[in-house]
Amino acid sequence: MKIRSDVLRLYQSLHTWVGICAGLFLFIGFFAGAMTMFKQPLDRWSSAPTHTLRPLPVVKLDQLLKDVLSQQAAARKEFTLHLAPRENIAAPVTWNVSMEGREIDLSAKRWLASLDEHDRLQMREELPSLLTQLIDMLHRTGGIPGTLGDEYLGIYVMGIAGVLYFLALSSGLILLLPTLVKDFFALRLGKNRKRFWLDAHNIIGITSLPFHLLISVTVIVFAFHDVFYGSLSRVVYGDQSMFGKPPALAASVHDVSLVLPVSQLIQTIAHEAPDFEIQELLYMGLESERPILRAALYNPRYLVQGPQTAYLMLDPYTGKVVNDSMLPGKGNIWSALVTPLFSLHFGSYGGDLIRGVYFVFGISGAFLFYSGNLLWLEKRRKNLSRDQAVPEQSLSTKLMAAASVGVCLGAVAGVGLSLVAGKWLYAVVGNINKAYLLVYYSVFVLSIVWAFYRGAGRASVELLRLCAGIALMIPLTSLLVMLIPALGLWVNGRDATLSVDLFALFASGLFVYAARLTQTRVQNGARDSVWSA
Amino acid sequence: MNAEINKKQLIRPDWGSKTFAGVVLGLGLSLALCGLFAWAGPGGIAAAGKVQFVMWMIAPVWMLIFSLTYLISSGVRAMQYLLAANLLAYALLFFFREMAIPS
Repeated sequence: MKIRSDVLRLYQSLHTWVGICAGLFLFIGFFAGAMTMFKQPLDRWSSAPTHTLRPLPVVKLDQLLKDVLSQQAAARKEFTLHLAPRENIAAPVTWNVSMEGREIDLSAKRWLASLDEHDRLQMREELPSLLTQLIDMLHRTGGIPGTLGDEYLGIYVMGIAGVLYFLALSSGLILLLPTLVKDFFALRLGKNRKRFWLDAHNIIGITSLPFHLLISVTVIVFAFHDVFYGSLSRVVYGDQSMFGKPPALAASVHDVSLVLPVSQLIQTIAHEAPDFEIQELLYMGLESERPILRAALYNPRYLVQGPQTAYLMLDPYTGKVVNDSMLPGKGNIWSALVTPLFSLHFGSYGGDLIRGVYFVFGISGAFLFYSGNLLWLEKRRKNLSRDQAVPEQSLSTKLMAAASVGVCLGAVAGVGLSLVAGKWLYAVVGNINKAYLLVYYSVFVLSIVWAFYRGAGRASVELLRLCAGIALMIPLTSLLVMLIPALGLWVNGRDATLSVDLFALFASGLFVYAARLTQTRVQNGARDSVWSA
Repeated sequence: MNAEINKKQLIRPDWGSKTFAGVVLGLGLSLALCGLFAWAGPGGIAAAGKVQFVMWMIAPVWMLIFSLTYLISSGVRAMQYLLAANLLAYALLFFFREMAIPS
């Protein structure tokens, strides 16, 4: 396919600049997003063993609910009934004391409740470890602190990065079209290093283009849906109702003792969604005018709207279905068109296989932005001419190289060390969730400072070694804990933990290899390079 | 003379004005087009659950317009074309809003 050269030049500039502006934000988003695919193993690796309260058979749950609701006003606002038979469920019933707005409360306590052998209510308060929620936060905000209105500032920044990302994808596609057939499967390893990086960048970009287009559009929507709905309401819908009629308000405040028995609710839900496993029931506003029961329904064979599950809303007093539009196969054509977009972003279908595939996509996306930055640097390189002194590289490329190295490797090292620190510091610090943040931001900021101070070449080797060391600390920690029980730490459920340890060991090996390659290049590579030191 | 003509046909980058046109006028046009789909598309304005789909369409339509804005020969042209498209789309949208009898 032939494209005019002025068009190509134009989109080349566009591709370069949107890539450079958004690349570092997107790297953090993709790296942290890839980590969220393994939320549960990470959670189980890091968090202290909760002294789980006794699981109960369904017939006993009604008595438990009655006891909890009559004694605990906070639970009447909102509580969760956990039904999935999983070992890491802490208790049959849990609720939080403070729950305002969309922000994460680092010191929010969680209450657990069950019945003991004599059917007496037992309760415990704990501070849950929020490590995986914080990694998810890093994914959604890029780690940018602050709020704007009732939303995190970082979410809007990532939304703008999503816009630039779409432009980078469309312009990259246009650039590649004329040579698509010739270049598609070419990975030229020859003397020309730039050619190799460009080939790798192109292969990954074009083979995962649909994934990237989907991610960029969903990121824009997740960031700006309030703005879009607001404009639709003003400009398009006017007096028309956008979400249909709200269900009628209850005439009076409900009596919580009249909530339907759990077994009956389970039966109703199973009838509505026969091939789903009911994981948990979230009771909301039992004493309000609009009490809702939200059932989380799991089946990896469906595309669902939640990060893991489909949802069904019931009235907990009558058992009537309030909203079934988030249950696959129910709802209408419009929700059937929208639901897959959520699912395809979250990778919440297809179980562990797709989680693995999404992890690879996420890491390869991070590679796309990193290699894009490298190509930008190579293009701006001032070449050594014969019999001349080694040219000084321009300030902009030096700074960009340092920023790329510091931000990317700093984010990786920060997440890794938070994971390790969570285990070592748990007993020492009062609030482990604040410790996670402190560790992450310290490592991240210091890495960036170090990269600017030492220059990109030296810092890249040193920070890669740091990443390797931190990754190695993960299996070493497990090993030490097993060998020296006097430490008083713990190793949770062997399988999940072992997978984290083995993966970290593998990653550590990769970082060591990368550090060695980089060092060879820094010392013996061309001296007219921004990496030379 | 020949070179002069060629120069005229080349696309001018005009980053500032084209980006402005893409962001502001592109988003406006996308909103109007999705609004038209809401009123005149299948199911009409009151179809249950349709608003979610309409909201989701704003971003991809906007980004498509935004990406192609840079193909227009100059920044001024880009503003003119997109402004005209906006006027037309909003005229149609308000026509449908007024004509449709709320059910």
